[in-house]
Amino acid sequence: MSSSEILPQTPERVLSARAGGWDLLGSEISVLFRRRRTWAMLIAVALIPILLAVAVRLSSSTLEPGEGPPFLDRVTQNGLFVGFTAMVVAIPLFLPLTIGVVAGDTIAGEAGLGTLRYLLVAPAGRVRLLLVKYAGAALFCLVATLTLTVSGAFIGAALFPVGPVTLLSGDTISVPESLLRSLLVAAYVTVSLLGLSMIGLFFSTLTDVPVGAMAATIVVSVIAQILDVIPQLDWLHPWLFSHYWLGFADLLRQPLDLGSFGQNAIVQFCYVAVFGALAYSRFVTRDILS
Amino acid sequence: MKLVSRNSLRWLPAFVVPAVVVAAVIAVPLQAGATVDLPDKTPEQVLLLVNDSTVSAFSGTVEQSAELGLPSLDLSAGMSESMTGALPEGNDSVIPLGVTTALELLSGSHEFRVYVGGESQSRVQIKDRMAERDVVHNGGDIWLYDSNTNAATHLSLDLEATAQAKSAQLQSQLPTDLATPAQLAERFLGELDPSTTVSVGTDARVAGRSVYELVLTPKTTETLVASVSIAVDSETGLPLQVTVLAQGQSSPAFQVGFTAIDFAAPNADLFAFTPPATATVTEQAMPAPTEGATGDQPGDHSSAAGQVPVMTGTGWSTIVEVPAAAVPAELSANPLLDQLTTAVDGGRAVTTSLVTVFLSNDGRVFAGAVPLAALQAAAE
Repeated sequence: MSSSEILPQTPERVLSARAGGWDLLGSEISVLFRRRRTWAMLIAVALIPILLAVAVRLSSSTLEPGEGPPFLDRVTQNGLFVGFTAMVVAIPLFLPLTIGVVAGDTIAGEAGLGTLRYLLVAPAGRVRLLLVKYAGAALFCLVATLTLTVSGAFIGAALFPVGPVTLLSGDTISVPESLLRSLLVAAYVTVSLLGLSMIGLFFSTLTDVPVGAMAATIVVSVIAQILDVIPQLDWLHPWLFSHYWLGFADLLRQPLDLGSFGQNAIVQFCYVAVFGALAYSRFVTRDILS
Repeated sequence: MKLVSRNSLRWLPAFVVPAVVVAAVIAVPLQAGATVDLPDKTPEQVLLLVNDSTVSAFSGTVEQSAELGLPSLDLSAGMSESMTGALPEGNDSVIPLGVTTALELLSGSHEFRVYVGGESQSRVQIKDRMAERDVVHNGGDIWLYDSNTNAATHLSLDLEATAQAKSAQLQSQLPTDLATPAQLAERFLGELDPSTTVSVGTDARVAGRSVYELVLTPKTTETLVASVSIAVDSETGLPLQVTVLAQGQSSPAFQVGFTAIDFAAPNADLFAFTPPATATVTEQAMPAPTEGATGDQPGDHSSAAGQVPVMTGTGWSTIVEVPAAAVPAELSANPLLDQLTTAVDGGRAVTTSLVTVFLSNDGRVFAGAVPLAALQAAAE
């Protein structure tokens, strides 16, 4: 890694180290998105809407309204619903899985490869490294959801007629407005995954074994969703990071309801703050041996 | 030594940040419920405030929750099928929506968005998970839309004077009628009589607005209702929340209230509903009022002789008796009945924390906000 060269601590160096944060971010992002693993995950994400659309296209049976995952019965009438259906299908397991892999790998991956201490020799510092790693994971959340949305829109437009979209409220909106809503949904889902990303980053600071951190992150996301369906724990539900994951349905109502967007953002912010603080304390006090 | 203290300092955020977040989570709702001090008013003055309320347009979010102790049923799955099968032709699209929605609203909690743009324009949206049900009323048109089935039902009303009455009746039969606290409050306040003590409770805050709390307490102890409190907006006089407490139950048995309200007139486009091109649309004539468009209101069957429901008792402990002849056949044939009711002395009964229904073996139905024993006594 370019920024891991050992540099003398002169005042000029410290100054450029401020810009070095951006260099570090740039190199982190390019490493992340040059990885085959990242590409494989993004391709798998893009395949979800494609599989859905192809299956619906090839199938001769027509779905009764309300059958199958939400919006699936609308897909044959309007290809723009492919993206929404794929999002509903991907949120509970597949997206958390990819986030778990990326976020769990952040620190533990470097430690496992033995590159962590070289990263820290540069004047970047541990806090900056944490921030850069988190920014990389958050960017992956955005890219993954955008991949899903875009591939859904393309495959939907390729296989099915495209027209004005019927919202949950029964009102109809034009194609450009529906694309705008798709982007809003992607933004919502990205925000939804920020809390889990920070949890993954925290787990990643605990261990030198990246697989352990990845598995722990995925397990936590599954546990949160199990807790979310136990009615005896309903006092806890609004504070589970997974509680608002499917709340993007509110973006498909007329008039647009941004209430759950805000609530989701607050909950995710709480998780980012708590696990960010834990990750900071753990990482700056940790002995880096590898 | 220095290293240790520096390290423990670095652990500080790990304790402080979670503590701050937890404190904020606890403190924010507390702050919303901070004590409000409004100029004192007598119950009469608050009632007058409600009466003089001129709010005709608003929009808001309503949250409704019921803890009646009803057995939980998978209403969405089995109900509509069994109901449609049992009902006469032509009526099948409105009634299941009505009955299932009414029954469904009696269990669990629900969220609505309500838009009211004057006397003849309103829209209620029941927010379901990944779905929505809409009731749009605009002048002479009522549209029901269900996003799950992508089905729309259109009821057109004659705007002549006679039909106006029908429209009011139809509206009162729609279960969403109970969607706004104002409408529910009207029902309770309309039936004020000497059997009720009216007092003003502590001032509070509902949907971010300061409210007077009107508490209606039954004087009799023979009812299941412990008290009904109505939160009245101190500025506009609009009831914002209705809470019904049952005897011996500390959490509200039924509560409906605004969580947010805006007194600006909603956009008129909201009331101009055009069904989506892909939806199945059912055109429906106005049901004749004597036929009884709902199965859940015994009063609808009052037309024919010998089928008149009998009211016994007064005020809160009133018992309604529906003669066997007036009980709709589809009710007793419904397979859900066995699931809902339990066998008791002399028949079957549904007991909830607020209302008891007793189906005696001879086919009569008794109902009231009274304990089961009172209904059984009335049946003898």
